[in-house]
Amino acid sequence: MKVSLNWLKDYVTPGIGAEELAHRLTMAGLEVETIHSADGDKVFEIEVTPNRADCLSMVGISREVAAILNKTRKPPRIKDTSYPKIKCEIAIEDKSGCSRYIGTVIEGVTVGQAPDWMRKNLSVVGIRPISNIVDITNFCLMESGQPLHAFDYDKLIGGKIAVRRARKGEKIVTIDGLERELDETILVIADSKRPVAIAGIMGGKDAEVNEKTKNILLESAYFDPILIRRAARKLGLASDSSYRFERGVDRGGVKTGSDRAASLILEIAKGKVTRYADVNITGKTKTTNSISVSVQKVNQYLGADILSGRCQTILKKLDFKVAARGKGGLLVQPPSTRPDVKLDVDVIEEIARIEGYDRLPTSFPTIKISDIPLDEKRFLREKIRKALIAQGFDEVITYSMTNREVLVKAKQNDIKSVKVINPLTQEQEVMRPSLLPGLLNTVSFNINRAQKDLKIFEASKIYRDEGEIEALGIMMTGMASEDWRQAKKQHVDFYDIKGAIVKAIRYVLGCRPMVFVPLQENFLEPGLSAAVELDGSVIGLIGKVEEGVLNSFDIKNADVWFAQIELKNIISRKPLKRAYQTISPYPAIVRDVSLTIDKRYFYQQLVEIIKEKGLKNLVEIHFKEDYTNMVRDKIASHHRGILLSLVYQSAERTLQEAEVNNDHQKLLKALVERLQVVIR
Amino acid sequence: MIWDFQKIQQELEEEAGGVNDGQNLEAFRIKYLGKKGLIQQIYSSLSSLPSDQKPLVGKGVNALRSRVTQIIEDKKTAIKQKEKRSSQTDLDVTLPGVAHRIGHQHILTQTIDEICSIFERMGFAVQEGPEIEHEFNNFTALNIPADHPSRDSFDTFYLDLKDPHDKKANLLLRSHTSPGQIRIMENHKPPFAVVIPGKVYRPDAVDASHSFMFHQIEGLLVDSDVKFSDLKGLLTHFCKKLFGEDIEMRFRPHFFPFTEPSAEVDISWKGGKKKWLEIMGCGMVHPKVFEAVGYPKGKYTGLAFGLGVERIAMLKHGIADIRVFFENDKRFLEQF
Repeated sequence: MKVSLNWLKDYVTPGIGAEELAHRLTMAGLEVETIHSADGDKVFEIEVTPNRADCLSMVGISREVAAILNKTRKPPRIKDTSYPKIKCEIAIEDKSGCSRYIGTVIEGVTVGQAPDWMRKNLSVVGIRPISNIVDITNFCLMESGQPLHAFDYDKLIGGKIAVRRARKGEKIVTIDGLERELDETILVIADSKRPVAIAGIMGGKDAEVNEKTKNILLESAYFDPILIRRAARKLGLASDSSYRFERGVDRGGVKTGSDRAASLILEIAKGKVTRYADVNITGKTKTTNSISVSVQKVNQYLGADILSGRCQTILKKLDFKVAARGKGGLLVQPPSTRPDVKLDVDVIEEIARIEGYDRLPTSFPTIKISDIPLDEKRFLREKIRKALIAQGFDEVITYSMTNREVLVKAKQNDIKSVKVINPLTQEQEVMRPSLLPGLLNTVSFNINRAQKDLKIFEASKIYRDEGEIEALGIMMTGMASEDWRQAKKQHVDFYDIKGAIVKAIRYVLGCRPMVFVPLQENFLEPGLSAAVELDGSVIGLIGKVEEGVLNSFDIKNADVWFAQIELKNIISRKPLKRAYQTISPYPAIVRDVSLTIDKRYFYQQLVEIIKEKGLKNLVEIHFKEDYTNMVRDKIASHHRGILLSLVYQSAERTLQEAEVNNDHQKLLKALVERLQVVIR
Repeated sequence: MIWDFQKIQQELEEEAGGVNDGQNLEAFRIKYLGKKGLIQQIYSSLSSLPSDQKPLVGKGVNALRSRVTQIIEDKKTAIKQKEKRSSQTDLDVTLPGVAHRIGHQHILTQTIDEICSIFERMGFAVQEGPEIEHEFNNFTALNIPADHPSRDSFDTFYLDLKDPHDKKANLLLRSHTSPGQIRIMENHKPPFAVVIPGKVYRPDAVDASHSFMFHQIEGLLVDSDVKFSDLKGLLTHFCKKLFGEDIEMRFRPHFFPFTEPSAEVDISWKGGKKKWLEIMGCGMVHPKVFEAVGYPKGKYTGLAFGLGVERIAMLKHGIADIRVFFENDKRFLEQF
């Protein structure tokens, strides 16, 4: 809110410079964001928090200034106004929407320019002067925070006012010239035929005051904050009035606001009050409840030592009624301007902020041991992150939301994804069901900026109809290594990304059997992809991203490898207990096996047959190389050549050549019989 | 004495100094150890010497022989070394070393870790909460009623999703990490101290300082006698650990529906023109929040705080545009 320092001085004399005053207001909770000079005045832009509707006026700010600087206030002067007995006709149909409505009919006004001082005050705080009548209502709004509206009384059909809900299909042209369609959720001020104002938000063109206006009806009312807020949102229309009604205007200020405006109109625009009505549904102005708070509680809560007298002074300066009650007890009644003060802690905050947070003591809390367990998900993610960073991967963070088109491009649109009901842009219309699109965007972004060698991962969430799922996505493209000694550089391939996944998961879970099974997915290249299984269930997938997908992400001339693991499948498994394995002091005997095998068999099958034999002394099986290309014309064309290395060792004794040979021959025999391998 | 060992010794050392290849080493050997060499000559002369000189000369020649032998051995090694070196090509020791690449943790998760670890050292536990939240946890339990202007600062994404356990609940993307407080309080009995890091979402138009997705860290300490002065002390300690000792701080009254009193924390670097930068919000847990989680009235007090991770990282590392965090340019990632 804009506050003019000159205008403010009508109600309180700060006695300090603008900068210092801004600082003091800021440190009491009214943050002065900027100060600028205008027309010989200083204007503060103050951030008023939503609980402090009372500070949306000059008088409200002056109350704060008086409390902070311990000054005396000069309230606005209201000339004694006596009202005629003749009622103006007001019918409140929606009693919960409008609890009070004061109508004052002033006849014989002269519409013209408002006095210079008023025009200047309004201009400085950003309100365009229009005419004396309109300016007075705006002036009073800014002065006291009570929104007011003036109707051209002669344009009110039937000369009466009804406060009611709009009827479906009713329309109004507001004073900004726009036609707005209304409905039953919107409260309006109507004459006997039509709405003439949207209650608390904006007046209508039909009954607008203009230069020809002779007679006016001045409105001062209290409208329900929720009703006004909903209507303002629905209509996409906000005004200085609605801003204040939404936050709750002072119920006690409806009458004084009305009186002040009427008295200014009579003084400036002349005329005579001919009719008047104050329809008050709640009867007597509702007073706020009394709050009991002890000075001891104040000090215990703040860790401070503020004297009772000081507490009382602060509260009284803020217009609270304070009565001492018993030893150190205070009975506090906030003014009607402060409905936000309801509990003892609210009172404590008032004392604390006026005393100044910076003047309150500082201590260190005692932090006790609690039984909050380790967050397993977070712990797992940290370990995975470590394992991948150690392997040369950079961590990325991409947006959790995406647009449908991107999902189609990444061929992820089959997955049931979660829609965002109120996205601001298309980029936020759906929660990502997979990490693939975000990683592809990242690769595309980098490749198009000449960063072609990429090893990235994201350990974050994906979202499906079952909710949020902890996931890990890995993507690789470009060269496998940065070693300048290698003359021929190698591109990353399936085995690089497989290695990364296996290492990372082993780092977390220990050595568990992971199985890779060929997989068909439309976004991965067939024959170059696999499902990842752990303990017999699928935990993710790995493979080369299909070329069409790459093209749609503007990734050209690059092979891109992707893997995604759903970490929930890993969190649910406890890491293997790490029991110490005695290291055998006896020598190991290594036997290399060179063989060729039909291409339809997987390496895994070979290993399984070896393992099935259950040889006690066979401790390790190593895959050494696939040498098919070196001996292409020397082996059967449907075969490939494999070199294995088997390690035999006993923890109890030195193995004899003969027994190892015996075991080894058994294995070879089994391989020949079962998989028709050719031993070379 | 006819043999001046001191002089011989001196000459020997001088000559040895000149020996630098196999050829002159051999000449040197012949001169001293050859059949007609000096040492042999001395031995031959022994018999013709007066008996009182024999022991002295004998001792002298033995010492000389062992010294010569030593020199020859040393020279042999040195010459071999030299020959080996001359046959190899020296390295360009200034060429870059080769190492397996180490990856980079994203600066945002690094910042989260750094902040959490400061609190962990003070005894806080780290817990995460879900991003998909119930309206109750995100708003109602935090004393943010529907249709209240205090919701204005929390524009929120709603999801077309139902909680299978509670079909009536509106699900949304949490607009702050504060609902994590509610989950902790509902599941644990005080005392406890916890920090809750995570992603939050708000329908904001993206520009240099706004993002619809960002990260926050929430803190909560609940016990029977937590004071506002504790909040000041705790956060002062934290800020000094995070930003260094040469900062100034101020606690400025503010409004959050779920704390009372509430404050914002500003920091400023000492020296130069004072410029206050807002870095976090905090306050004493509002009694309505304790009421919402079913704690007995008046039994506990607590402090809570929340900060934006991007903002902290931007301040610490001089990053001017929030969007760079989510572009993931390799050249950006590699800087941290």
